[in-house]
Amino acid sequence: MRHPARTLRIMRYAFLSGAQDYASIYTWKSWLGGWFVRVLSQVVFFALIGKLLRSDQQTWYLLVGNAVMLAAMEGIWALNLVNWERDSGTLQLLAASPSNPVVVFAARGSYLIADGLASSLGALLVVGLLFRLPLPWPRVLLVIPLTLLVGASGYCFGTFLAGILIRARNLNGIVSNVGIITFMTLCGVNVPLAAYPAPVAFVAKFVPLTHGLVAIRDVLAGNLGPVAGQAGLEAAVGLAWLGLCLVTFGRFVRHGRRDGSLEFAN
Amino acid sequence: MPDNPGEASAVVVDQVVRVFTPRRQPPVRALDNVSLTIDPGEVHGLLGPNGAGKTTLVKILSTVLLPTSGRATICGYDVVRATRQVQPLIGIVFGGERGLYTRLTARQNLEYWGALYRLPGAQVRPRANALLERVGLADKAEKRVETYSRGMKQRLHLARGLMGDARVLFLDEPTTGMDPLAARDFRRLVGELKGEGRTILLATHDMVEAETVCDRVTLIDHGRIIATETPRSLSQMMSRFQRVDVEGADTALLDEVRAIAGVMGVETEDASARIQVDTEDALRAVLKLVVDRGITAVQTSLPSLEEVYVGLIGDRGLEV
Amino acid sequence: MVRGVLAGVRLQLILYRQYPDSFIPLMTAPLYTIIFVMIVRHGGRADLSGYAVVAPAFISLWWFALFHGGLVVNSDRWSQTLELHVAAPTSFPAVIFGRILTVTLVGQLSFVEVWLVGKYLLRTPIAIQHPGVLTATLLATAFAMAATALFMACLFVLVRNAFTMTNSISYPFYVLGGILVPVALLPGFVQPVSRLVFLSWSADLLRASLSAAPVADVGFRLAMIVLLGAAGFAVAADLMRRVVQRVRNTGELGLR
Repeated sequence: MRHPARTLRIMRYAFLSGAQDYASIYTWKSWLGGWFVRVLSQVVFFALIGKLLRSDQQTWYLLVGNAVMLAAMEGIWALNLVNWERDSGTLQLLAASPSNPVVVFAARGSYLIADGLASSLGALLVVGLLFRLPLPWPRVLLVIPLTLLVGASGYCFGTFLAGILIRARNLNGIVSNVGIITFMTLCGVNVPLAAYPAPVAFVAKFVPLTHGLVAIRDVLAGNLGPVAGQAGLEAAVGLAWLGLCLVTFGRFVRHGRRDGSLEFAN
Repeated sequence: MPDNPGEASAVVVDQVVRVFTPRRQPPVRALDNVSLTIDPGEVHGLLGPNGAGKTTLVKILSTVLLPTSGRATICGYDVVRATRQVQPLIGIVFGGERGLYTRLTARQNLEYWGALYRLPGAQVRPRANALLERVGLADKAEKRVETYSRGMKQRLHLARGLMGDARVLFLDEPTTGMDPLAARDFRRLVGELKGEGRTILLATHDMVEAETVCDRVTLIDHGRIIATETPRSLSQMMSRFQRVDVEGADTALLDEVRAIAGVMGVETEDASARIQVDTEDALRAVLKLVVDRGITAVQTSLPSLEEVYVGLIGDRGLEV
Repeated sequence: MVRGVLAGVRLQLILYRQYPDSFIPLMTAPLYTIIFVMIVRHGGRADLSGYAVVAPAFISLWWFALFHGGLVVNSDRWSQTLELHVAAPTSFPAVIFGRILTVTLVGQLSFVEVWLVGKYLLRTPIAIQHPGVLTATLLATAFAMAATALFMACLFVLVRNAFTMTNSISYPFYVLGGILVPVALLPGFVQPVSRLVFLSWSADLLRASLSAAPVADVGFRLAMIVLLGAAGFAVAADLMRRVVQRVRNTGELGLR
């Protein structure tokens, strides 16, 4: 980063413009009545399975897993950033500008991390109350930074996917939906990694959410020893995907410039 | 389908009013007591600037929109009360980028509309092929519409409007955005259609187009009809406001120009002069004079639609 | 009328071929099946595998009704072919019905898919104990689903910003519809609301057809699905009328 002050300024403006876009979609009322009701229902849906299985442990396991999953899910939606830019015709402008597109993207979509955190913690609290999830005070406060970490880590992964999707705009919806459900399947959200065949569990360790979720479960269970280590691994995974993104994004943009896929090709 | 017996006109518009009431805004009177008739086999132009009410009138006549008051008939059938009888008779060619399924091919689009216009199954494909051939899209028929240029889409719109073998065609600004060659080809097609006995209403803001293609032209502005003219009188109106721009004419020459009959005025700015002429003869005389005197930087231009309107209103003391 | 329906069917099939996104629900259903089956197995209740396999079919079905159905009229509005349809001699509702019919039939593939996934991928073969009940339930469900899709189609074009709410009406209905956890396990005050959602009756009956115990009140329960479907159609038909009215009376929904 040759000019840190300039980069920060770019990020600040980009964040504000992204936040503005977001504010134009949702008001407090529509966020609560529309979006939040959906996320609560999502967590309730899975928590209820624990009731079907007649096990409080299972209920709480599913509840926590799916609540934290929300933060990662919103972060991964960063993959839509490219298409949003392309649809407003700004993608090619961005590619032509002197700023590093990753920096601008990263800042522009970062409201997703904030939203994911709010959704996740809100669901944990509300659905937790409904299902009498034990929330041991004060160590439960550790869940907040850990959830933020999961969201940020998911966001890095999402930004990486955004780069890949520059040239494959038709696959956007598919990657988004199938991707999220895959995370839901593999990352220890609903069942522990141990329940999976070893190769699958191995792959899961290299994607966001897996380690952060283990850390959060450990916090809630009072098992504080491994928390720092798992948090560190989550951070490492996120940074690794970010690094990969920084390396490859530029190349995807160049390719896009060459074959014209940066344009509003509708 | 037989006409209503005794009905001589293809299209009759009688005191049609259309008021729009957009949300939280004052009502808009898009059409104000509009009346006109179009004879069978006529190409009738509807000329006016953007927002004049052309599209609104076309929508009413094509049964898409209901009039607030007044009556309109197509081949004797009322567009409101006899919608079922009207719809098979008309073809709609709206301009622009929309109105087509972009992920479908041209052929798929045509066959779909062919079915909706109640073509017998066996006729759908042959007619689609024939129309694709006619509008010059036969070799691109299997390509998706999203790959088409503006001109190609417009030609497909025309083919689509013809799938039902319409007696009366409504063309709404069909050549907007087309390059001059494509526009000329399109107008040629319109001429062919006229030759087949179809009645055509052509809505446009292009005076030259109206003058070249139409049998009669109705001028409309702010929802009111100003006049109905033949192309010849329209052409005369246009030449009334023609101007000649010259460079490097000296004062003596310009005085001579002013003396020519039919020259309305001369404005000068530095070395340039704009000469307003009133008739074709005056134009010729001015051009001859300046060219004979060795002036080579000469340019003529036609008036804008607004200027023609203003002149028309001034002439006839009409109120708009 | 019939030609209109057929034209709609053909158009929808072509659109399905052209838009790969259409098949997202069929791609996510196997994943959901894996998730649910693993949960019940890990919870020591492999006997509930039938529940786990059936639920993803309803998730897919709902997606088809919501998104594909919901897009049917709205996509015409965006491509500005809506007015052209109103002007054509063929009834617009007939064409829409044809498209919805296609959406419904393709949506039924979800049931086939989850059964195949259960049997071959997860080695959880689902034994159909009451095939008659199953067939009747699937038919009734298809009917109700078509009504839902038609309702969505009209709703999304009449109500501003309705489409942005589609994100929000998935999971709430999975819960209310008891597609995995039966409605009987929901809190008492929610149950009457659940009973208004046809999914709840369909899911219950479908699960019942997979278990050995005799199925109670089959006639009544099927009738409820059909009734809710019919009510849905009635409302949708009224909304459809309003769509055409809005195009012709106010000029909204048309060309800009």
